[in-house]
Amino acid sequence: MTDQISQEAADPGVIAEILEKNPELHGIGNYEYGWSDKNDAGANARRGLSEEVVRDISAKKSEPEWMLDLRLKGLKYFDRKPMPTWGADLTGIDFDNIKYFVRSTEKQATTWDELPEDIKNTYDKLGIPEAEKQRLVSGVAAQYESEVVYHQLREDLERQGVIFLDTDTGLREHPEIFQEYFGSVIPVGDNKFASLNTAVWSGGSFVYVPKGVHVEIPLQAYFRINTENMGQFERTLIIADEDSYVHYIEGCTAPIYQSDSLHSAVVEIIVKKGARVRYTTIQNWSNNVYNLVTKRAVCEEGATMEWVDGNIGSKVTMKYPAVYLVGEHAKGETLSIAFAGEGQHQDTGSKMVHIAPNTSSSIVAKSVARNGGRSAYRGLVQVREGAKGAKNSVVCDALLVDTISRSDTYPYIDVREDDVTMGHEATVSRVSEEQLFYLMSRGLAEDEAMAMIVRGFIEPIARELPMEYALELNRLIELQMEGSVG
Amino acid sequence: MSETATAMSGEKARIGAPSIAGFTEEGENLSPVNETSSPIGGDAAKAHSHGPAASVPQASRGERPTSYDVEDFPALTGREEDWRFTPLKRLGALHKQAPTGAAPAVAADLSGGATVETAGMDDARVRSAGVPEDRVSALAWNAAAEATIVTVPAGAEGAAATLTIKGDSAEAAAQHLVVVAEPNSSAVVVLDHVGSAVLSQNVEIDVQEGARLTVISLQEWEDTAIHASSQQARIAKDAYFRHVTVSFGGDLVRMTPSARFAGPGAEAEMYGLYFADAGQHLEHRLLVDHAQPNCKSDVLYKGALQGENAHTVWVGDVLIRKNAEGTDSYEANRNLVLTDGTRSDSVPNLEIETGQIEGAGHASTTGRFNDEHLFYLMARGIDEKTARRLVVRGFLNEILQKIEDPQLEERLNETVESELAATEV
Repeated sequence: MTDQISQEAADPGVIAEILEKNPELHGIGNYEYGWSDKNDAGANARRGLSEEVVRDISAKKSEPEWMLDLRLKGLKYFDRKPMPTWGADLTGIDFDNIKYFVRSTEKQATTWDELPEDIKNTYDKLGIPEAEKQRLVSGVAAQYESEVVYHQLREDLERQGVIFLDTDTGLREHPEIFQEYFGSVIPVGDNKFASLNTAVWSGGSFVYVPKGVHVEIPLQAYFRINTENMGQFERTLIIADEDSYVHYIEGCTAPIYQSDSLHSAVVEIIVKKGARVRYTTIQNWSNNVYNLVTKRAVCEEGATMEWVDGNIGSKVTMKYPAVYLVGEHAKGETLSIAFAGEGQHQDTGSKMVHIAPNTSSSIVAKSVARNGGRSAYRGLVQVREGAKGAKNSVVCDALLVDTISRSDTYPYIDVREDDVTMGHEATVSRVSEEQLFYLMSRGLAEDEAMAMIVRGFIEPIARELPMEYALELNRLIELQMEGSVG
Repeated sequence: MSETATAMSGEKARIGAPSIAGFTEEGENLSPVNETSSPIGGDAAKAHSHGPAASVPQASRGERPTSYDVEDFPALTGREEDWRFTPLKRLGALHKQAPTGAAPAVAADLSGGATVETAGMDDARVRSAGVPEDRVSALAWNAAAEATIVTVPAGAEGAAATLTIKGDSAEAAAQHLVVVAEPNSSAVVVLDHVGSAVLSQNVEIDVQEGARLTVISLQEWEDTAIHASSQQARIAKDAYFRHVTVSFGGDLVRMTPSARFAGPGAEAEMYGLYFADAGQHLEHRLLVDHAQPNCKSDVLYKGALQGENAHTVWVGDVLIRKNAEGTDSYEANRNLVLTDGTRSDSVPNLEIETGQIEGAGHASTTGRFNDEHLFYLMARGIDEKTARRLVVRGFLNEILQKIEDPQLEERLNETVESELAATEV
């Protein structure tokens, strides 16, 4: 019976007919990753946050005492810090209803077959094992709920001394590195959500690339929330030693539920002298996830940090990847793209802080708002005293495809040095009748034409993505734009 | 990387310690001008934040509360988004209590039919165009003893009014001015602030249907003056409004001009020039509220900074509301940094709620001299010092030209000259 329905539904003619009869169904089913697995661990997990919950997480992981102390300090700050008075409406988050820790498997797997059937199928559907088989990635980490369930790194990289572990294992095996770097870029009391993450963090990736090692093929992490009202708090720490290179890619999805989940990650990156790190995110949470993430990198002399940040999913995203340029000739770059559809608020941007002389940074942000969605660019460029010869440029473009969507730009520029070059520019445009007419007169349907205009608009960013992600992005845009006309 | 042999106590302190200069355990201080305002200190620490006290952030600049009642504005802490760049200490009593001193004397020079009168605060023309948006403005509104009202009669052509506002007291004072441009009139009104004062001012500007009005606000205060000025314009159908602000003097100047469209087809231009010397805090926060279809706005502010702790803040909010179809808007801020030790904040905000617009954009640049210009002039035999002055004058002159009054332009050019001469740039 089930099979029959899904076969029928797969026929586009049938879908069109159903939609015609039931216009309210428009938009439903656009999100392809909205299935959920059967879920005993998640269903039984406890709700709410207290000192006991924090102690319990730490005990389950048999952590050193100093980590428990840090967690408790994080909890204290979380309780005392006010909610942000700017940005998106976060009143829908019910901290007492969230499940802060869900353990889905007892043991981390190193082959996909070791995983429970449900979880393995989920990753199959997401195409992760296939990519690994084809050697499109150097290493894979798959996080399901609170913990990393699958982990694998190519042998040759392991031999070169590259460490790619889930953060829990990383802490167990390399406590001295954690003592030095954990919380050094994003301190325990940095902001309410970083404090929350410090208190209840679990999972995430720990990457160390030794001096001079170039990891040519990306490392990939895949984050999946399955439980309703789940809180996922992964914690990632990346250290690229001198003259090394690594590209880390993360993707995220979740099921569609009636009530909301929370994803609040902290990502700390240390880019040592002459090293280069690229961090790519394709965020495609379902529309019931609050995505409140703190990401920050420190760049030493001659180092380069590149954030490629794609935000397509989630209900609310507040995320502003930052680079602190603390060494001379360090360089920071952010390419950001956001799509806000119905019921979505994408409040994204970037932050560049010039502390050392002759540092440079650039931010290119593009956003598309449609169907009542709201997209905002919020950014800060700061040049501290002494950062002579700092150079920065910020360009943001927004595209509005209808009259009910909304686009905002809030760029902060704070200069405390005379020898600098700073520039910000933004334009907001709508898709013009002429553009549409031109394409339609050449035989394209209106929604195809619209999708083509949007693809052209984001092309400068899409071409920076690895090919399979660029294709994925294009496909997501087509899904997003479906039914956007009329 | 593996220095695990450090003493345990030292290690404990080191764990989780921030590595970035200027960071504490709580990250960065977001309001260094108001030192005591740690986000976790004071009142914020007392409120349990994720309880029922959690508030919805203002979704838009258009939602900022306005009221004639002081009680509607909580006491300032310096952490508020619209105050965190302002050194509250130097603002002194102006944000704490109602100013009770005598307002600076106003001398008027009129032509072309413009009139000036004083009226009670219960006059119908008071509250015609403005409503306080912050505590300082609300305190002054209620403290003002009377309103000085400039009227440009309907149909008047080329009327002019210059109000010389001369301060001679360090006592906190409130002042209320109203400018009414009646239908289809055209006029230039100059507010010339000189002397020294501690002044909180509300200026209401009522630009009625089809009127063409230019208001020029000059801040040529002595170095000790403290001046907060809310200048709000209501622009009716098919009217044209130009606002030019020029800030040279004063210890602390905080101007908050706004242009609100009240009818379709109107146009607003907001221009500004500021020149901050050592220790001066010059702040300009403006709003253009496109609440009507088919209106046009253009904003350009240019600033120069020189000397230790010269601080300028420029925040430009442009709001294009849902029904403001056909809006055409642009805003830009350009800062020229002449010496070390200055700080310039520039925030061009843009909120757009409809896709049916002609165009909207903004730009901000902050930087040093253009060495090419300098080279060009020096290659023609002009010495470096003169060449630098010429470049700065050229940069700022774009705004002075908008004043369209050769005499006034000349006077302000001289001020620029003397500013440049003061610190051998």
